[in-house]
Amino acid sequence: MLYVELFLQGLIQGSIYALVAVGLTLVYGLLRILHIAHAGLFTLGGYIGVLVTDATGSLALALLVAAVTVGLLGMALYRVCYEPILNKPPFVALIASIGLFIAMEEIYRIVFGPYGLSYQAPPLQDSVVLWGMHLTQAELAVMGGGVVVIAVLALLAEKTRAGTAWKATVTDPQMAQSFGIDTVRVRYLNFFIGSALAACAGVMVALMNNLVEPTMGSVPSYKALAIIVLGGLGDVRGTLIAALALGVIEAFGTIYLGDLMDRDAIAFAFLIVVLMIRPQGLLGRKA
Amino acid sequence: MTALLEARDVTVRFGGVTAIDGVSFAMEPGELLGLIGPNGAGKTTMMRAITGVVTPDQGTVVLAGRDLKGLGTAARIRRGLGLSQQLVRPFRDMTVLDNVALAAGHAKTAGPWGALARVDRSAERDRARDLLDRVGIADVADAWPGNLPLGFLKRLEVARALALDPQLLLLDEPLAGLNQIEAGQLADTIVDLNRQGLSIVLIEHNLGEVLRICTRIVVLDNGRRIGMGEPRAVMADPVVRAAYLGEGGGHAAA
Amino acid sequence: MLDAYHISLLTVMGISVTFALSLNLITGFCGQISLGHAAFLGIGAYGAALLSKAGLPVPLGLAAGALLAGAIGAVVGLTSLRVRHDFLAITTMGVGFLFLGIVRQQDALGGEMGVSGFPGTGLDKEGFMVLVLAVAAATAAFSLYLKKSWLGFAFDAVAEDEDTARLLGVDVARFKLAAFAMGCAIAGLAGGLYAHNVRFIDPDSFGFVESITVLSMVVIGGIGSVWGVIVAAAGLSVLPLWIQFIEDYKLLIYGGLLFAVMRFSPGGLAGAVAAVARRGRTEP
Ligand SMILES: Nc1ncnc2c1ncn2[C@@H]1O[C@H](COP(=O)(O)OP(=O)(O)OP(=O)(O)O)[C@@H](O)[C@H]1O
Ligand SMILES: [Mg+2]
Repeated sequence: MLYVELFLQGLIQGSIYALVAVGLTLVYGLLRILHIAHAGLFTLGGYIGVLVTDATGSLALALLVAAVTVGLLGMALYRVCYEPILNKPPFVALIASIGLFIAMEEIYRIVFGPYGLSYQAPPLQDSVVLWGMHLTQAELAVMGGGVVVIAVLALLAEKTRAGTAWKATVTDPQMAQSFGIDTVRVRYLNFFIGSALAACAGVMVALMNNLVEPTMGSVPSYKALAIIVLGGLGDVRGTLIAALALGVIEAFGTIYLGDLMDRDAIAFAFLIVVLMIRPQGLLGRKA
Repeated sequence: MTALLEARDVTVRFGGVTAIDGVSFAMEPGELLGLIGPNGAGKTTMMRAITGVVTPDQGTVVLAGRDLKGLGTAARIRRGLGLSQQLVRPFRDMTVLDNVALAAGHAKTAGPWGALARVDRSAERDRARDLLDRVGIADVADAWPGNLPLGFLKRLEVARALALDPQLLLLDEPLAGLNQIEAGQLADTIVDLNRQGLSIVLIEHNLGEVLRICTRIVVLDNGRRIGMGEPRAVMADPVVRAAYLGEGGGHAAA
Repeated sequence: MLDAYHISLLTVMGISVTFALSLNLITGFCGQISLGHAAFLGIGAYGAALLSKAGLPVPLGLAAGALLAGAIGAVVGLTSLRVRHDFLAITTMGVGFLFLGIVRQQDALGGEMGVSGFPGTGLDKEGFMVLVLAVAAATAAFSLYLKKSWLGFAFDAVAEDEDTARLLGVDVARFKLAAFAMGCAIAGLAGGLYAHNVRFIDPDSFGFVESITVLSMVVIGGIGSVWGVIVAAAGLSVLPLWIQFIEDYKLLIYGGLLFAVMRFSPGGLAGAVAAVARRGRTEP
């Protein structure tokens, strides 16, 4: 019983990681930028979710508003912050992104207060019994939603014209351009989708914990970095697998390694061990 | 064991591509050996297998009687190799002179702690200036490599390789990007160095210069060795001619 | 004579300068990014505090903390032989979290509660400040010397293009490990001084934010520039103490500055000064 429960908990946590990480890996695949500020957008999604749900009573509307607003903001972020420094050495964008993320967290603290917000009447709190385990509807929605959304995304990348354009741009931007693909539009679309997904994840996490705080993005953000590296940077399917695997490993690790190190350390110990054995990531191919 | 360099049955694969396929050859001390072949023949890959930048899937490289297997690039350089690369890679944050001086200071950079104990660069800079003069680019010694045309950077590569005081100099297309006069002069310099006892492997598409200066050649095509021996005899071989002409014939003139 | 307030300012400043220069050695000179450098400040701090609590004389405790940090730094440096650039950034960040996660769970290391009540240096506030400033000055002098030495020369090559450095006979692996060992040992020394200055340490003092803060000092000063890093570390470390109101907005300012410098002047202070000087020369 314990194993099943740990496994499910791991999957739930892993789904959240996946939703955050997939946007990061999309951005990395396209621009080779470690877009840490992405987690700031995740947090913003959480705030919008709580505010809109409280104002209108509709979680669906909240998801929509959060996705669209944050998606647009993601595009703006690309335009204003990243585009001008794309051809600088890689650490430039990385550090700029860290700076941006820290500043965003501080802005949330100043605007929304340090203690965070909760739903007045949190939706989806009814309990569901699954394999003898009590889960809330919100937890189920996170788990189902995360896997479905990313699977759909991976499918779209395979089957649609936009997906083909995206992959072509990832593989060889110049070649893609010469085939008439509007690579700039691909980038904007990329930021929109990735940011919108992070916002949805933010709403769902806020729902699960019934709390949004300024720093709620920190841990997922650092973990998401570990995940996209594990998944083989820029690989959507690898990211999904790495996220779920990390969630499960953390869940078991806290039981069996808890005396030695805490949850975050377990995640990063796993990352370091994997990278030392396979520098290209869990699923990545050798460069 | 008199051979200075010996490649035995060397095979290198990149994924599905077999870049060199069971190539063997040997060279004696003091030789000026030409390594030629059409584009993509595997010449650069052979150099990389010798310097340890790529690890052969099969076969061994032996330098002065010692199997180089397991040695890293830096260790191989310290055993007496010097490489001038086909794709130039100058340090752009250093002047041309310092690019060469760093190589000339190889005795001082053997290990970090020894390097920390030494400061003076003047002897190495003097030597670097001499070498730049030798390859004909002393007047850009204080320039930054980022602003220089390819012909200068090619010669910088050669000067840097020479500064390592190698017993075997590996030159990967040093004449590309030079005009005819400059190419002729650098070829003469290469001959001079060889006369003074330096062993050299020269990769070149400029067949005129290769035939003029090399004492022996090895021909690669599609990763295989298709010819080896005295230059004119090898070039008369129908198989070698076919490999060159089959490629469009452009190379014989190039 | 300085009053107590200025003595504490200068002490904080000296520790920050030492710490920032130690990262500059790894990231600036040798080109290896680290997002987990605070872990080595922590190792030095815990080493010095626990050893002096165990009865070791303070100077030995400081030295042992520095050596321990340097040794662990060399081990962490091994990762830089396997992964580069972005991967290295994430790996070193992981090392930082690993350090925190392990210290938090170990009662022997004080756990969440941290370590306090260890014997002091025996120096008064002013004497301790002099010690800290002497260490900072020595670190600065060492950095300037290193940059001029053949080690600095080889580091330049490793930082710009490892593959070509190897072709010039530079054993890149050993040079990188030396950079990590030296940089982390100096960070450990700074950590020991930090422990004796605040007389209480806990895991939170060595977290990701501290790693980013020290990186921001290096970046804002100008990666690789000794003078730039000294100015930035001195300024950024005391700014929040000087103006109380900044303490509340400290992180916002750090974050904003980091972003703005990278966006508008990736060479930092040193880069901006050099650019102005160049303009001055070309337009007499
Ligand atoms: N790093 C690599 N990855 C994959 N394939 C490679 C790599 N390096 C070389 N190749 C392939 O190996 C083959 C041999 O290449 P190589 O560069 O050795 O040829 P070359 O004889 O030096 O040609 P050129 O005269 O054009 O310089 C080519 O088909 C090339 O595409
Ligand atoms: Mg070649």
